[in-house]
Amino acid sequence: MVSQKELVQLELNSNSIKQGNLACAGCQLNAAFKHSLTAIKNNGIAVVPACCTSVIQGAGDGYGMNVPIMNTAFAAAPAVASGIKRRLLKEGNTDTTVLVWAGDGGTADIGLAALSGAAERNEDIIYIMYNNAGYQNTGNQKSGATPRGTKTTTTTTGKKSRGKNIARMMVAQGVPYVASANSAFATDLYDKITRAVEDFKGGFRYIEIFSPCPPGWDVDTRDTHAMGKLATETGYWPLWEAVDGVVTLSKRGARYNDPAKRKPFQEYTKLQGRYAHIDEQLLILAEEDIEFEWKWIRRFMGEL
Amino acid sequence: MLTEEKTKNIKIWTGNDAVANAVRLSRPEVIAAYPITPSTPIIKTISNWAAKGEMDVEYISVESEHAAMAGCVGASAAGGRTFTATASQGLLYMMEMVYMAGFTRLPMTMAVVNRSLFAGWNIWVDHHDMYSMRDAGWIQIIAKNNQEAHDMIPVSFKVSENHDVYVPSAVNIDGFILSHVAGQVEPLSQKLVDDFLPAFDPIFKLDPADPVSFGSLTLPGRYAKLRQDHLESMDRARKHLREGFEEMSELTGRNWGSLVEIYGEENADVGIISLGTIAEETEEAVDILNTMGIGSFGATRLRSFRPFPFEEVVDAARRYGQIIVIDRAYSMGANAPLVTEIRNHLQKANISTPVKSLITGVGGQEVPYTLLVKMFQEVMKQEVA
Repeated sequence: MVSQKELVQLELNSNSIKQGNLACAGCQLNAAFKHSLTAIKNNGIAVVPACCTSVIQGAGDGYGMNVPIMNTAFAAAPAVASGIKRRLLKEGNTDTTVLVWAGDGGTADIGLAALSGAAERNEDIIYIMYNNAGYQNTGNQKSGATPRGTKTTTTTTGKKSRGKNIARMMVAQGVPYVASANSAFATDLYDKITRAVEDFKGGFRYIEIFSPCPPGWDVDTRDTHAMGKLATETGYWPLWEAVDGVVTLSKRGARYNDPAKRKPFQEYTKLQGRYAHIDEQLLILAEEDIEFEWKWIRRFMGEL
Repeated sequence: MLTEEKTKNIKIWTGNDAVANAVRLSRPEVIAAYPITPSTPIIKTISNWAAKGEMDVEYISVESEHAAMAGCVGASAAGGRTFTATASQGLLYMMEMVYMAGFTRLPMTMAVVNRSLFAGWNIWVDHHDMYSMRDAGWIQIIAKNNQEAHDMIPVSFKVSENHDVYVPSAVNIDGFILSHVAGQVEPLSQKLVDDFLPAFDPIFKLDPADPVSFGSLTLPGRYAKLRQDHLESMDRARKHLREGFEEMSELTGRNWGSLVEIYGEENADVGIISLGTIAEETEEAVDILNTMGIGSFGATRLRSFRPFPFEEVVDAARRYGQIIVIDRAYSMGANAPLVTEIRNHLQKANISTPVKSLITGVGGQEVPYTLLVKMFQEVMKQEVA
């Protein structure tokens, strides 16, 4: 378990993402990407489908990353990563981590078949989905992972259906290591990626990171981090790991299994413009989705 | 002259066998593939070799053609020699990645077993699929028989990986007519291929020790420069293809010509220009027509469609009194693809040889040489506006 202080030092040493890039102020995926690259000790190749991270890298002559990046078409990242990893294996390189770094649209929607294919082949890659709940790079359109009740530019009165939970799909498919993380809990995130790299090397690993988007979610950049913490504290974003299909709650979020210990959902929603002026009935359904997810978690913990 | 020993080496192979065997000899490191008729036997053969350790390759059995080409893109960007095979709808489904491989300048070879496009369901040969990737920045080679398909695979790897070229290559064979019909093929030896085809030496590759980004955000001026550079590389590919063909001819004693193969009367009244197996059928038709006392006939077969053999087409137009171009595909609302290219370039070269169009053999329509003899005589009467 890394401490906050140790993580800061590790990040300064690895300098995975150099100063100055095109991320928006308060962008949480940028922080999560830095934690992730630090955890793989820069000995990795990142495969990035069309998403915010395609742009964040910048367009100048300089290159702001300390790992090579393969930018690729939207639906193709897990298959491109498979090709890269197989080539590394062919030359006897088993140490370099091949990492897919994809958004929720590239994962839950257009890239789902390729994700499932790579998982089925148990490719030796780590797939990280940073979930900012929509197509934020193109200006906040709805994705399959957009949660119920939120406004996007294609669900202007609030999304009516429940969001897809890809981490659950990955558990159902038998992926050996699946985890949910939150950019607001950096040490927990770092530990999960380290575990994926060190303990589950050789097979497919899937990690999903809750990653708030200040412009897309209409959140004041001052509140991004606090709001991210509230996502877990209200029970909305549970933190867990699943090893061979058995779910374990993470230390940082285990207590929210008990609904009585959760903070009110409204504390989380009121900081975000995307939940403003939404029909009350729809918000009730959105709140009920929290317990829907927890029921699944308990079932896979063997508690039900 | 064939020696006793060489005679024993003749195999009876389908076009797919000929391709698969040449791929094995070319020692690719990664193959990602997805089945589609009529290219499936290529990947059945290769996956079986990989599973049994008879071919030292990382074989990725992917979930779609899009992923097949994506796997090749990753393998090539990581510095490995890579291959896939597809056809028809498969080529269309992977097209986004075909363009990505071309525009990212990733050397590799793909066998395209030419087949018609849906609808209706039709599994037989035509060239609509091949033309769909015309502008993807790939070299496109078209073989006329199984031996040529076999010999062209190492040439395509070699020219693709040449630092002066550095673009992917497609080797096209006509579906079923070549892919599933067995004929005589003299296999290349491993030594010949190893001597002919050096190890892939990538200009750039993904390597944590030297981090670079492929395909990052590219502003207009630089983007235009990338495409212009690609165009110039494809222009240089003509020379390297000619050299590759010549070298292969010297090593094997089989002369397939160069970017074009000329048959029959070189300075004929009527010259037929075509691609693939129909060009071999045309050779028979030319022989018959030349006995009929209705003028002299010749044929010029294009072996590469991209880069387009400009000089050779101009040469053909100077040699022939008139030209008939056979297309195995339509371009709805316009002239057929190959005849358009030829007329376009001859106009640019200020050559007024009449160029007439014959569209046939679409969706596997049978086109025996006896029918070609009749069709050529009809097309000769076309008025060219």
